Amino acid sequence: MTGHEPDFASGPVVEEKIHLTLVELCRASQVPEHEIRAWVIEGVLEPEGGTPEEWRFPGAALRRARTALRLSRDLEVNLAGIAVALNLLDEITALRSRLEGARSSDDPCATILVE
Amino acid sequence: MKFKDYYEILGVPRTATPDEIKAAYRKLARKFHPDVSKEPNAEARFKELGEAHEVLKDPEKRALYDQMGSQWKSGQDFKPAPGWDAGFEFRGDAGGDFDPNDFFEAFFGRRGGGSRRPNVHAQGEDHHAKVMIDLEDAFRGAQRTITLRMPSYDAQGRMVSRERTIDVNIPRGIRAGQHLRLAGQGGPGVGKGGPGDLYLEVGFNPHPLFRVDDRDIYVDLNLAPWEAALGAKVEAPTPEGPIQLTIPPGSAAGRQMRLKGRGIPGQPPGDLYVVLAIVLPPADTDAAREAYEALARAFRFNPRGGRS
Repeated sequence: MTGHEPDFASGPVVEEKIHLTLVELCRASQVPEHEIRAWVIEGVLEPEGGTPEEWRFPGAALRRARTALRLSRDLEVNLAGIAVALNLLDEITALRSRLEGARSSDDPCATILVE
Repeated sequence: MKFKDYYEILGVPRTATPDEIKAAYRKLARKFHPDVSKEPNAEARFKELGEAHEVLKDPEKRALYDQMGSQWKSGQDFKPAPGWDAGFEFRGDAGGDFDPNDFFEAFFGRRGGGSRRPNVHAQGEDHHAKVMIDLEDAFRGAQRTITLRMPSYDAQGRMVSRERTIDVNIPRGIRAGQHLRLAGQGGPGVGKGGPGDLYLEVGFNPHPLFRVDDRDIYVDLNLAPWEAALGAKVEAPTPEGPIQLTIPPGSAAGRQMRLKGRGIPGQPPGDLYVVLAIVLPPADTDAAREAYEALARAFRFNPRGGRS
């Protein structure tokens, strides 16, 4: 074989390599721009940069925006409700992760590091 | 085609008022919404609820659906009689979020058609899809061929489902919940607009040995009592193959050994936690019973010694 592999599509990992502009985030998440702006004001999304034109959203904002969209569209959750729900979902994720550690050991000192 | 009882799905009687239908839908939607629910099949249930609500909230569609009569049972083979929809006209603007299926389309097949604007140039929509990989793929990288079902419109403006396959490189170090952005693999552009991008969310198939928490991996390792007490060199599984692990003497059950950097690769890589468990051999032969009795004599050990 001389390197004539089928053409495999490749792309960056959004959460690690990419910052999204407001326009890119709107397109990728399929959320209208005015809603994204409202979510930023509410603190649901926290871009870097001063003005909306300068906003740069971390890649993880894509998942957050998609979740926010589904909550608002499917359950008619309002702006403040979305902020609360997303915070609670974050907290549940963190607790599940700690539970995984705790399930293994009651005593954090019981972890030994193996080089 | 199987009949779907939309009233049964929402748990309301056929006489339910619009308010009752709305309340029942809201309550079940909160329970089964995939973003907040841990119920098994939450996603499928939620889609079904959306479909039922889509029909029953709309007086026109509900009337049409009711016209089929109440003699049908869920799951029954079903074929609408010719001319069943005479006198109904739909605007084709159904906006719910569910996969149209045979049953729904038999009733409301014109959904979404007719709204194409041929003289507009616009970039195609960005699309989303999910691909499941094995945990091991995140260590090595993988190539996957995924099949996407994409709605498109035929010459008559009817919505048809088209299948498209894409070969994808899954990079090493990807974690569950992350997205790959595949440029130009989304929806086709309109007019001279280019195609949109495809965002591919990655998930891990359940693994019989390993549990994954973000970039860290947990694995249980069973030890014999003497291995835990005296220390031992044992083989431990890792996603990259078995390794030799030195168990220190006096290891208690539940103790975890952290193998730094042996989790999912990346900057920084995750850790692998080996969680120790102690398994007692059964006392099912005379020799085994004698061995336990010898232990008892040797130790005079009271495991409840701390209690009064």
